[in-house]
Amino acid sequence: MTGTIEQLTLDMYLTSLFDTDKPAALRIVQDALDNGMTPEKVVFDIIIPGMERMIGGMISDNLVTLSQHFLAAQIAEEVVDRLIPLFAAAPEVRGHVVIGTSHGDFHGLGKKIVIGCLRARMFEITDLGISVAPERFVDEAVAVDAEVIAISSMMVHTATGERGARRVRQILQERGLEGKLRIIVGGAPYRFHDNLFREVGADAWADTAAEAPAVVARLVQEVRS
Amino acid sequence: MTTGMERFAALMSGQTPDRVPIVCNLLDQGARELGVSIREYYSRGELVAEGQLAMREKYGYDTLLGLFYAGLEAEIMGCHHIIYADNGPPNVGHLIIRKPEDIKKLHLSDDLHAHPRFRELAKCIGIMKRESAGRWPVLGEVSASFSLPAMLMGIGQWLDLFLNGDPGLRDLLLEKCSQFSSRQIIALREAGADLIVYANPVASATFITPQKSRQLALPWTIKDLEEPGTGGVVFFNGGGRINPNLADLQAHTGIDAYYLNPFDDIIEARRILGPQALIAGAINDIRLIDWSPEEIDREVEKIMLAGKQGGGFIFGTMMMPFRIPEENIRALVDAAIRHGRYQPESV
Repeated sequence: MTGTIEQLTLDMYLTSLFDTDKPAALRIVQDALDNGMTPEKVVFDIIIPGMERMIGGMISDNLVTLSQHFLAAQIAEEVVDRLIPLFAAAPEVRGHVVIGTSHGDFHGLGKKIVIGCLRARMFEITDLGISVAPERFVDEAVAVDAEVIAISSMMVHTATGERGARRVRQILQERGLEGKLRIIVGGAPYRFHDNLFREVGADAWADTAAEAPAVVARLVQEVRS
Repeated sequence: MTTGMERFAALMSGQTPDRVPIVCNLLDQGARELGVSIREYYSRGELVAEGQLAMREKYGYDTLLGLFYAGLEAEIMGCHHIIYADNGPPNVGHLIIRKPEDIKKLHLSDDLHAHPRFRELAKCIGIMKRESAGRWPVLGEVSASFSLPAMLMGIGQWLDLFLNGDPGLRDLLLEKCSQFSSRQIIALREAGADLIVYANPVASATFITPQKSRQLALPWTIKDLEEPGTGGVVFFNGGGRINPNLADLQAHTGIDAYYLNPFDDIIEARRILGPQALIAGAINDIRLIDWSPEEIDREVEKIMLAGKQGGGFIFGTMMMPFRIPEENIRALVDAAIRHGRYQPESV
């Protein structure tokens, strides 16, 4: 991207995200479209870099907050959903992810942020909601032909419990599905304990929502290769 | 000096105690201690008091925790469905605010004792106060008005409302929650709580910027504490980093004690707050699940070294996960006793 209208628009968009000002962010997107920017440019040069710089900022300077993550992902999801039908050519879907919070866990914020990041990065998402039974994760993943099961947990006992990722892993083993499906986990307990994902039987974890698309892309690649 | 109350009294009067007081927040572990299910444990205040007293005696830390689970506040405010697990804290299973009209309909009783669950909590605190006989401070926990809505409507909906929603509706909800917080502080003190742990995770720097916190949350903290006053109130991070907010809180609320997040830098907090404030430094207690005793010892020593450099210091945990093995709880408290001792010349 050159230092032109796109850069200016991205700067304004980032400012609105930093201020958690959703009306301003949506107005900037609409102005860009009205001024002739293509839907593809809006998504790939404004929305996605905006989301990733906002959410990824936490990795480098710890200054970006969950509310900013939330808003960046929420707007990205809304705008991408609205603009994809307007693309000149349908974008390639990069993989299909079935996502939900672990059984007994009613905290959906992290999941919402991750969904926004993945949708914006052209992953197809099946959102199973909160407190999802392990059997349902697997059944739905098989039904929609997903490559990845994503399990979000806010609490230690739901992250490590017998009805969480650990049980999903067992079911994959029992049904001979381990070659076809990968498990990714995320949420607060994993951030406090960086080896916990292995203990619960996951293939991977993502420290932040911004990292999720790259990790999921790697898992999809593993399944497809 | 042999009791937690003496240690806290020393800190509050600017003296140096024999060692750093230890706050070890064991909750659901009390059910295991008594050999009952978590559901049964929380059904009666007597059981929770018995569990808390037994755990304090067993491990030797300095406080008694007068808290059941965070969702109890939502229950008292009208939530009818709490989901129990057999290995972790109960969860809110029913959001009482699903649409804007629900905020208008939200009704709070003038008397918290009118709710049977609050009566159980008050009974628990009363028993602990009596049994403690002035030896161990009883902690009560109150969620700030700015954080309560997360339990009433879900955190995503609450973020939507306070960031970009109808300000009138937001303020109406906060007004009701603030009344609830204030009343709860007063009622818990009346029940026997010596210290009030005031938790405000949504106002923390993990959730919102310090600017937003100053603009949106700080006025409600001031309001929550206006009637009950700040005596014995400890500002608790609730799971988010608070160092970026400390200067504002200290300047505007009159709170003298701050309970940091494991990711907050203790030395930085002391620099911000000055020597008069009490600081509680918290260990990353999720790691206690599988740290070795040696690792626990090293981590505790690090926290104590930072905390003992000057000013009143308390060693604390977050809400200890159920899975932490007993030997690691013992290792934690033993290490905190050992590394928390002040040298005689500094007394």
